[in-house]
Amino acid sequence: MAASDGEPQAATKEAEKPKIEPLRLPTPEEIRGQDIWNNCAVRSVVSGIMGGGLGLFMGLFLGALDNPLMQEEMTAKQQFIYTAKQMGRRSFSSAKTFAVMGLIFSAAECVVEKARAKHDTTNTVVAGCVTGGAISAKGGPKAACAGCAGFAAFSVLIEKFLDRHD
Amino acid sequence: MAATSAPTNIEKEQIFGMAEKEMEYRVDLFNRLTATCFDKCIEKRYKESELNMGENGCIDRCVSKYWQVTNLVGQLLGSNRPPV
Repeated sequence: MAASDGEPQAATKEAEKPKIEPLRLPTPEEIRGQDIWNNCAVRSVVSGIMGGGLGLFMGLFLGALDNPLMQEEMTAKQQFIYTAKQMGRRSFSSAKTFAVMGLIFSAAECVVEKARAKHDTTNTVVAGCVTGGAISAKGGPKAACAGCAGFAAFSVLIEKFLDRHD
Repeated sequence: MAATSAPTNIEKEQIFGMAEKEMEYRVDLFNRLTATCFDKCIEKRYKESELNMGENGCIDRCVSKYWQVTNLVGQLLGSNRPPV
């Protein structure tokens, strides 16, 4: 009676027990590890490096595409070397541009998000405006405004596109 | 000597009762704090599982303010014995 009732009860209790886990608060080391990614400087540097990598590949690709066909006095090997040098130059300048863009955009977005304490598209708009304005500031205030608006719209589109994939 | 070193049963019960009340108070404080800051800071549509930077900052500010308010109100309630 007691034994036959006790065994299935004990079995269900044993099956129920492992499901409920105690609350495990994060240790200070875990919090410190997560805080590294919350640091604006670290984030912007990593974004700059990633932008530099992206710029490198894009520059290689585009530099390989537009090689002017030189005159026939260059042999095939010389033409190849010339094309390779042009690709390298193009990719280096493109990498620099993209790295600066990524750095400024990430730093601006990080600072704005920390100040507002909200995760919105407004952060992306402001960061895009700052980046576009900074890049095209040499052309005067009108060019800066146009760059700001254009880059902000571009960033919002990219953000919406990336969000839709999730 | 014996009376001060070994507390009587009544005193033990009093201490346990106070500790239990204190524990309940702490647990209630933690639950309310979590619920308040969660409702305030985190959007209802979950797009990702990790806390992003804005939510982290919001939670920091919310907890800090909640704690300050709790301490302040506790001090005010404790110091002014006659009702205001």
